[in-house]
Amino acid sequence: MKTIIEEKNGVVIVSVQGELDTDTSAQFQRDIEPLMERKDTKVEMDLSKLDYMSSKALRILVAFQQAVTRNGGSFSITKVTDTVQEVFDMTGLSASFLR
Amino acid sequence: MKKRISESPRLLIILLLALYGLLTTGVTLWVLHDSLEHSYRLNYEDLEDDLKTIAPYLELRMNQGDKDCFAYLELVSSVQHEEREYSYVVRDKEGEVIAPSFAAGRTLKMKKVKQLDKTGTCWLADVWGDRCFIIIHPFPTRPLELIGVYDYDYIFGDREETAKDFIMMLVLLFLLLLAVSWFWIIPVVERVLERKRLAENELNEARDLQQKAVTTVFPKNSFFDSHAVLRPAREVGGDIYRFGMQDGKFQYVIGDVSDKGTTAALLMFTISSFIHSRTRGEVPVCELMKELNCLICDNSEYEMLCTLFLGHIDAETLKMEYCNAGHTRTLVNGDFLDQDSQLLAGLDRDYPYHTQTVQLHHGDRVLLYTDGVTEARGADRSFFGEKRLQEWMNGLDPAISSEAACQSLLDTLAAFRGNALQNDDIAIIYIKIV
Repeated sequence: MKTIIEEKNGVVIVSVQGELDTDTSAQFQRDIEPLMERKDTKVEMDLSKLDYMSSKALRILVAFQQAVTRNGGSFSITKVTDTVQEVFDMTGLSASFLR
Repeated sequence: MKKRISESPRLLIILLLALYGLLTTGVTLWVLHDSLEHSYRLNYEDLEDDLKTIAPYLELRMNQGDKDCFAYLELVSSVQHEEREYSYVVRDKEGEVIAPSFAAGRTLKMKKVKQLDKTGTCWLADVWGDRCFIIIHPFPTRPLELIGVYDYDYIFGDREETAKDFIMMLVLLFLLLLAVSWFWIIPVVERVLERKRLAENELNEARDLQQKAVTTVFPKNSFFDSHAVLRPAREVGGDIYRFGMQDGKFQYVIGDVSDKGTTAALLMFTISSFIHSRTRGEVPVCELMKELNCLICDNSEYEMLCTLFLGHIDAETLKMEYCNAGHTRTLVNGDFLDQDSQLLAGLDRDYPYHTQTVQLHHGDRVLLYTDGVTEARGADRSFFGEKRLQEWMNGLDPAISSEAACQSLLDTLAAFRGNALQNDDIAIIYIKIV
């Protein structure tokens, strides 16, 4: 699992590659934690190279979204794979996460 | 003793250090003693030759730069106990006095250093400004006689001193290591072990609570044959289910808090007690879900999310009303139920959950489960998935008991997993409509 964080034109782009299972989710949380404390940050997440996302990782994303919006920023997920899309659909989170 | 060592890192580290100290000291002494012994023996062998060749005269052998020179030491002894004073002259091979290179007529003050053996005594003296190793052999008929003068450093080098220094260094190092261990390493290790113990305890307690929160008595009556199994994973998890007969309905809830620890366990209990107390009367399923959702949203220290599938089956009409909040898809007789993907609970307090209904029939079998089933991973990293679950259910004998059905699924999952570890809690509810 690799988390790549870049900044382009004032937007923070987070790309996640590999799998977010129970082991890698903890690492992922540590990787994105600094972004949760920044104010007025626009974050876009690219999950096109994410092959699998466990329910634990989903919780981390929800918490991340809440933290970012609480700090005056915005968060959206731009690209997902089919398997990850299914997880979002099943939990009813597609509407709030994916645009 | 063994148990005490494993429980106390302090004791273990001290024992290891002591062992290290003893071992290195022992090895050093053995190595040096050997070389000391060797020198002694070598020395004495040389002496024996000298003894044979000289009578009243003594051979003095000195290295002076490039030249080896031989001289004789004529000794006149005076008797004193520990310190002896000798006067001597140095003569060459021919008997001529050699001067002035050698301090002829000089008084030699010698101090007894060590006992060579029964036949001789070693004396250490200062000769010509250099340290000297002098062997004096007591002949039976004569007083002590000087046998030979050997260059001390040539024989021993600084081995003795080096050995002493080395041992002193080891002792100091040992003390230093002991101090560092005592005040720094051991407290750190103890802290780490304590933290692990506490974490272990919390996990165990949480697991206990989880087991207490789920239903253990499964309704088996003339209407339903139900059974459930919960297989908690080591660290991840948070599955919860609660079901039973109430007001002529088979009421159930299954969910996944997706967290371990005491906070998750408390949430499980919240859900559990809610279902227990609230499912009396004709409260619509979606209203129950809305209430439960509010309860979760309001009652969390930090954000807790939870998938839930809540519903009931009327024993008379066999109509099932259900409400899904982000949970896995229910299987009825091997087909997936028409289940709307509503938002998981604990996120949006005002989410407008709605009820769905389906008409069941005698002989129908309903399978509720958590994502620990579909997301079980095999040794080749593939997922069990909904398709394999469907295949399993379609391959199941409809007549077998719910208990046997649950076991069958557990066995299938175990076979699929092979050597891979269970990565999430597994919860299965199998309801057979009689």
